[in-house]
Amino acid sequence: MSDVPFKNPGWAGNTGEFDLTEEQVRGDDFVGERPAHGGHASGAATMPFMLPDRDPEAPLFEGEYQERFEKILTRYPDKGAALLPTLGLVQELRGHVSPESMDRAAALLGLAPADVRGVATFYTMYNKRPVGRHLVQVCTNISCNLCGAEDVLAAFLRYTDTELGETSEDGNFTVIEAECLAACGFPTCVQINSRYYENVTPVDVAKIVEHLKGQSGADQ
Amino acid sequence: MAYPYVSDREVRILSKYFGDPKQRHVDTYVERGGYKALEKALGMGPDDVVDVVKSSGLRGRGGAGFPTGVKWSFMPKEQRKPHYLLCNADESEPGTFKDRELMRWDPHQLIEGCLIGAHAIRAQHVYIYCRGEFFEANQVLARAVEDAYGKGYIGENIFDSGHTIDVTVHQGAGAYICGEETGMMNSLEGKRGEPRIKPPFPAAVGAFGKPSTINNVETLCAIPHIVANGGEWYRQYGTEKSPGTKLFCVSGHVNKPGNYELPLGFPLIELIEDVCGGMRDGNALKAVIPGGSSVPLINAEEARACSLDYEGCLEVGTMLGCASVIVMDETADIVKQVRRMVDFYAHESCGQCTPCREGTTWTAQILRRIENGKGTEDDLDTLMEMTQNMVGTTICVLSDSVAAPVQSSIEKFRDEYLALIRRGERMGVA
Amino acid sequence: MPVTLTIDGHEVTVPKGTTILEAAKRIGQEVPHYCYHPGMSSPAMCRLCLVEVEGAPKPIPSCVTTVMDGQVVHTQSDQAKSNRQAVLEFYLVNHPLDCPICDMSGECDLQDYVHEEGRESGRSREPKRIFGRDDFGGDVLFYGDRCVMCTRCVRFMSEVEQDSRLTVVERGSRSVIDTFFDEGLDGTHWHGNIVDICPVGALVSKDFLHKARAWDLEHTPSVCTSCSQGCNIELHTRDNLVQRLKPRENLDVNGWWMCDHGRDNYEWINQGGRIEAPLIRDGNGGSKAVAWKEALTALLEKAGDAGKGTVRAVASPLASNEDLGALKALVDALGGGDSVFRSARAEQEIVLKGFPSLARRRDLAANTTGAELVGLARTGADDASGGLDEVSGHGGVLVVLGDALADQDADFGKNAALYVYLGSHESAASAHADLVLPVTTFAEQEGTFTNLSGRVQRFWPGLEAPGMARPPWLILGALVAELTEAEAPRSAADAFAALGGRVPAFSGLTYDDLGDRGAVVNEPVSISGD
Repeated sequence: MSDVPFKNPGWAGNTGEFDLTEEQVRGDDFVGERPAHGGHASGAATMPFMLPDRDPEAPLFEGEYQERFEKILTRYPDKGAALLPTLGLVQELRGHVSPESMDRAAALLGLAPADVRGVATFYTMYNKRPVGRHLVQVCTNISCNLCGAEDVLAAFLRYTDTELGETSEDGNFTVIEAECLAACGFPTCVQINSRYYENVTPVDVAKIVEHLKGQSGADQ
Repeated sequence: MAYPYVSDREVRILSKYFGDPKQRHVDTYVERGGYKALEKALGMGPDDVVDVVKSSGLRGRGGAGFPTGVKWSFMPKEQRKPHYLLCNADESEPGTFKDRELMRWDPHQLIEGCLIGAHAIRAQHVYIYCRGEFFEANQVLARAVEDAYGKGYIGENIFDSGHTIDVTVHQGAGAYICGEETGMMNSLEGKRGEPRIKPPFPAAVGAFGKPSTINNVETLCAIPHIVANGGEWYRQYGTEKSPGTKLFCVSGHVNKPGNYELPLGFPLIELIEDVCGGMRDGNALKAVIPGGSSVPLINAEEARACSLDYEGCLEVGTMLGCASVIVMDETADIVKQVRRMVDFYAHESCGQCTPCREGTTWTAQILRRIENGKGTEDDLDTLMEMTQNMVGTTICVLSDSVAAPVQSSIEKFRDEYLALIRRGERMGVA
Repeated sequence: MPVTLTIDGHEVTVPKGTTILEAAKRIGQEVPHYCYHPGMSSPAMCRLCLVEVEGAPKPIPSCVTTVMDGQVVHTQSDQAKSNRQAVLEFYLVNHPLDCPICDMSGECDLQDYVHEEGRESGRSREPKRIFGRDDFGGDVLFYGDRCVMCTRCVRFMSEVEQDSRLTVVERGSRSVIDTFFDEGLDGTHWHGNIVDICPVGALVSKDFLHKARAWDLEHTPSVCTSCSQGCNIELHTRDNLVQRLKPRENLDVNGWWMCDHGRDNYEWINQGGRIEAPLIRDGNGGSKAVAWKEALTALLEKAGDAGKGTVRAVASPLASNEDLGALKALVDALGGGDSVFRSARAEQEIVLKGFPSLARRRDLAANTTGAELVGLARTGADDASGGLDEVSGHGGVLVVLGDALADQDADFGKNAALYVYLGSHESAASAHADLVLPVTTFAEQEGTFTNLSGRVQRFWPGLEAPGMARPPWLILGALVAELTEAEAPRSAADAFAALGGRVPAFSGLTYDDLGDRGAVVNEPVSISGD
């Protein structure tokens, strides 16, 4: 599908323009990132994803994250409902949800730690162990599969030099299979951290991997 | 900017501004006529809004096809407790990608629809449960909500009507089962997203134990247009029992995959050959799944007879579902694709009900064994019977969804299974 | 407003709001189920209780569906049976063939249901998933492979004990029960109940692990003696030893539950070294084993010699109402006097929050209330020591029933004109007893206890008494009969009736009234000392 003659104005399409900034790809009308202080008190978590060098001994949230957490609490009639957004914030800060984080989140929300563990392990997106700087999730579900997703997956494994589900030795990449990412018209879809890459073919993979190696884990 | 592919056979109501990033801005949206329907609706009584939607015949676009106006009329007419409107933006059905496009291109359309819907069911709070993987859509929606609050379209005393409605964008965390309405309510409450038994129904006991209604993104996006133009206007499109337009998500072996907004009742074969530019490489059509992975497969002959509305699909032995058309040509390996779909269900099963928890994995294991050339013909009988035991015996219909591709593929593509069983030969490469 | 429906051809009328499963129970039709339990919420997830209801498009889960007038339900129809057979086959896809090494064998719902209605053989040829064995802490071991994911244990801890220690981890066929990492079940007081409610052998008691086979055990209804709540229990015995205790259902007392303290406290019943025959001490520190007639005759003689004067008696609050009644009668017959009892007391109650009328009570013995009603006075400290200063040096008749006098020294009763020691084990403080008479423990006799709410509950013997041990009511009743020309009780029921004749609280109650669920005494009971 690599000769599709359009620029899908998604994140980064098949244009080879992976090194462009958001503004360049999308134009000035890009709505863009939510402000660091969280903007409106809506519950959505956002980028940056996996900020490096976070102090594991620090309180679960502090500063602007504590503010975001408090704003999130105001959106629900009871504290327990804020658990998913809270775990999302935890993962945003630390890259994964550890037992200590689960315990502290439980204390903050008045829940039993066992219940928090049950919730954190139910959902796919909460990483239960640290992952590489770039979490590469290749959709191999039917629509992408019909259009060569398994070849794309194999290419990613080759160029990142990892096993499926494992982190590469340099700590840069973890490659996993994902279920349908809802970009079926633009196969193969690959989600890397919080960005979608659409219309990816095995030929594009080398370029994408090179591009990522030059970036930090925080997306632009 | 032209969206990836646009066909002149489309009727672009909801998808008019796909590809235009300016539409995300509240000012542009208002310039182009936005939030007028909301003003009109807030000037009407809630039951009058429900009547307009009922008259349009709009059916839920999330897959079940239940008439939306009727669903809204189940809510209590008296305000004894807080009511909630939940927008189901947890689009995870394989083959479906319309809600993502709706949210990231036209977020205010959705917000306006949510606000009108909230007014109609006397809800004070709307939760947009947006799938966790949709970082972009979550961001765009959150920004749009913030802008709308800033302009007074959300919040207290909207348009001086005396009504207060709040909107919260709630980001999920990766679970297909949270797209099931009661699973979504449990997930919103901060629990495991396991479906609840019905009764009690959400309109009686829903999110946080209060009366709630859950509607799909596409359904809610249609609401502003219906309120602005009236139910009769909506009925000019589509068929009598399936009125209106639908976003068809076409994927697979066609030349121009993508979203196409067409009137319901559109012939499937014209969608493939005309709108989508025909089969890739001129290959022959082998199979189509017209409604996302949870509906039965149909072969080429049935596809030629299939019209894309709720009744038309039933006539050829499948269902319209969420209208996600997955097209497979002669190179497709049916057994592998069915196995991949069952793998998906096994991965996503919540694990409460025994038939689903055990049956999905068992089915996947048998199919994998067949794919590896170690299957027997008894396995096909086991699959047919065992998946039938998964139909109608569970709390939600994920379990039934496994039976659909498995049974329909064994019935219609038995030779592919037998080739693997008898000779270890695959009949496709994709 | 009662509702009438038809189940398997039988008409049954039940109150509105009853579930189909409960309605079926009323006509003796037990619908197989796992996740449903009357003491907890119902998620309707095991799908085993699906029944056929005429007019319904799908099978209906009978544990959550309430009855409707005129409904016609079939629990034994072909469709209902084939549903159950299908669900049972799904269970056996991954359930290991552990029966030869599984404690639950013989009392396992899965075994029973599959034997009744399962397929002859499962069709799965795939490898089973493996979770292994996990120590949950406390008394509980978890064999993950055997788990049928009914989540009764999770719901018990979160709804009944209200200390959420267990959760379901992961989802789909990877889901398994686990604790919060190392937190485990330590520090909870009711976790033994999850072993009871687990329908298969996934949760087992470490104490009972590989101890005895379920089919070898005899079950005897009894009452727990570890506190004054009086939980209804069963003694499970084999080889004349108590192997374990299990709760019995009694919605007025303990629901379906018992606490871990009571559950663990049974080894003392099996303790050996029992007094096996009546002993008469000669004056020189030796004793002679004699027959009962000789012992009682000697006792009465000595009592006659001692003459009238204050009698002092010490009893254990583990003695039954009948035993204590007979003791009081004997004290009165010998001239009257003071009777006391000593009981250990805990600092605080431990309430089962989800069933708040049930608690591990402060009084750590079964019959403190019975003792008080009969007329004994509490003495001693909270560790059941002391309080016997007036008794130990008493010069008249001294009777000790059941109290092991562990804190007293060998001089106890030295000055007594007649010191009779009735007990199960000898004590240092029985050195000066003139007569040492062997008695039964509660597990070896019939009788009743009165719990702290004044409920009188029967218990039955599950063990054979060792040697010549006899129930205290029999021994003391015979003595009273001799002294007062009354009839000697020939059965525990007689002794209870005799008690009713003396103590107004018990008057008019018979064993038939008590049944196996108990009945409350006649007058309001005030719980002393609280």
